[in-house]
Amino acid sequence: MNRKWILIAAAALLGLTAVPGVRAAEMTDKEKALASPYSNDLGPDSLPEETVKSYPADIQKGYHILKGEIQKDGKWVYNNGKSGCVQCHTASRPLNSRFLEPEGGMDDAAQTAALGKLKKAQPELFKDLTVWQPEVKVFNRYVKRMMNKPGCAISKPEGKAIWEFLEYDGAHRKTGANAEKWEAHRKKLVAEFKEKYPKRYEELKAANDL
Amino acid sequence: MGYRKLFYISNFLMLGVFVWALAVDNNAEWKPYQSKYFQMTADNFDKQAAAEKDPKKAEVFRAQAKAARHAPLEIRQIIVGDLNRFDRCTTCHVAMDEYTNPTLKTPAGWANPYKGHPKVDEALVKAHPFTKYGCTACHEGQGLATTVAGAHGHVMAWESPMLSVKAGHIQGSCVKCHGNFETLKGAEIAAKGRAQFKQHGCYGCHSINGWGQSVSVGLEAIADKPFERIAGYNYNRVRIDGQPLPQAEWNIQNWILAHLTNDPEHVTPNDPFAELNAEPIPPSGMANFTKNGEISRSDADAITAYLSGMTQEELIPYRWHVPAPAEREPHFADAKAHGHFVFQKYGCAGCHGLDAKQGRRRFNALGKGQAPYDEKMSKDELFANMELGAEPTLPDLMGTYTHDELVKKIANGVAASEAKKWNPNGPLPMVFMPVWKDKISKNEMDDLATWLLSTAKKDDSGF
Repeated sequence: MNRKWILIAAAALLGLTAVPGVRAAEMTDKEKALASPYSNDLGPDSLPEETVKSYPADIQKGYHILKGEIQKDGKWVYNNGKSGCVQCHTASRPLNSRFLEPEGGMDDAAQTAALGKLKKAQPELFKDLTVWQPEVKVFNRYVKRMMNKPGCAISKPEGKAIWEFLEYDGAHRKTGANAEKWEAHRKKLVAEFKEKYPKRYEELKAANDL
Repeated sequence: MGYRKLFYISNFLMLGVFVWALAVDNNAEWKPYQSKYFQMTADNFDKQAAAEKDPKKAEVFRAQAKAARHAPLEIRQIIVGDLNRFDRCTTCHVAMDEYTNPTLKTPAGWANPYKGHPKVDEALVKAHPFTKYGCTACHEGQGLATTVAGAHGHVMAWESPMLSVKAGHIQGSCVKCHGNFETLKGAEIAAKGRAQFKQHGCYGCHSINGWGQSVSVGLEAIADKPFERIAGYNYNRVRIDGQPLPQAEWNIQNWILAHLTNDPEHVTPNDPFAELNAEPIPPSGMANFTKNGEISRSDADAITAYLSGMTQEELIPYRWHVPAPAEREPHFADAKAHGHFVFQKYGCAGCHGLDAKQGRRRFNALGKGQAPYDEKMSKDELFANMELGAEPTLPDLMGTYTHDELVKKIANGVAASEAKKWNPNGPLPMVFMPVWKDKISKNEMDDLATWLLSTAKKDDSGF
């Protein structure tokens, strides 16, 4: 019995000596993204079903693509992180973003006009950048930037669908009658973020990037 | 054998050694050179005497010829007290010994080692009297040696062989003391080397005396880099004109030149598959400057000349140093032109290519044209795909940034740990975007962003 345990202990020791030769597991891209978190990451990674269903069909499509889902037998199913925004970070990051792109589609002038209109109608949306960051083409730029990252598998039509969803979703979920609800949601996320990641909070605050 | 016999034999052997030593010394390699020089000098005086019509002058020539014929053969040396150097070069190059040949000139057609020093009437030579500076302070080589190979320093383990005059490497010696070498007559190749160093973005990764980034090694003392820190003693990697070097040619000039005339990936030691190390080690992160002839052989020689002057040789007296005047910033009519200048000034081209046109290689990063990673791939396939990793090609990205976003991106850089690897088991890509906020001023940063944004490719995404 004793001899058996001695042999087991010796084998374990031999195993331990081999440990330095084994490389530490490295972080995945998603882990790397989450290692530099934003307050958005603390929010939900999906929208309530009734909200999604209230959006037009082509906008719903953008939502599913963003979440890394593909259509299979008429249903949207998760593609194991191989497509959409979830290739590199969770869906929480865009879904809880403070960015707000005015409606107007591809037309810069239309978006600028919509932004001006929004400023008159809801000036409170322009007072706290940690809650709303209204900016012409802001999602458009970000989606394209992400698409340009090496290894990103988002195609041009997919990128367009994601952008259209983010533009539409922002205008409907972050403004108008929903503005108050959105403000509370963002403020809660930022407060939680401050508590959970105080150092990162200060970093982002200093960089006006909360 | 008795002790007495052994004693006699030992004595004869010892005598033999002395005789052999005398014979070796009598046939020293330098003696025929010195002897021939004096013979040529005597013949020349005889010729002058024969051509001279004035008998008094002819007599002087004949006396000089006689003196040359009877000149003793001896080791000649210049003692450079300031540098603690003893240069015996004039033992063979007698015409360059100011005591034997005060004019330092010889008749036309005399070749080395008999000819005098070139350009003795020019300011460059006049400002550096040989009696004070010796020979090796500028030419390098092994001052104490009295054989051709030894003195020229092309022998195993001599780390400072003579600097090539033909390739201009000797101008590195100007750089050692003259901070203002870029405006000096005679240092044009070294000046070109520095201009090339700036143009190709070397400062983006290498610093020199605090100027430049610290992505790779600082080069302020690269000329002093010892053998044991070069190429891991595997000089088969270091090739000039495609050929491996004989051991006598293992030196820092060829090490620098090899980086510029070959793909550096093949020059430095590496272990991308962790066959010999616990962690994979990527090949050099330095760009392949031979690609598309970006750096020509003469450019490579010029950069080598410039870097050959990067020494921190402590013996160079402080009073020998000539400080460089502060570099004047040119004035630009518009922000874009200034931004382009800033791009070059800080060495951005080192990673993003000349004029930001093409991101350079970044081993094992994600890049265009890579096949999907498959662990069943052969090592050659894995290596070929890892090589396709690249730095961002900026015009592709510029349309996705606002001015402020771009300024923030440049200011904060991108940490090496954020790199995405193509081969998850391969090395972390070496080169990274450093933090620039402490180096680039606000005005420069704004203009750099303005210029970069102006390079944006037309958006063809359809949305």
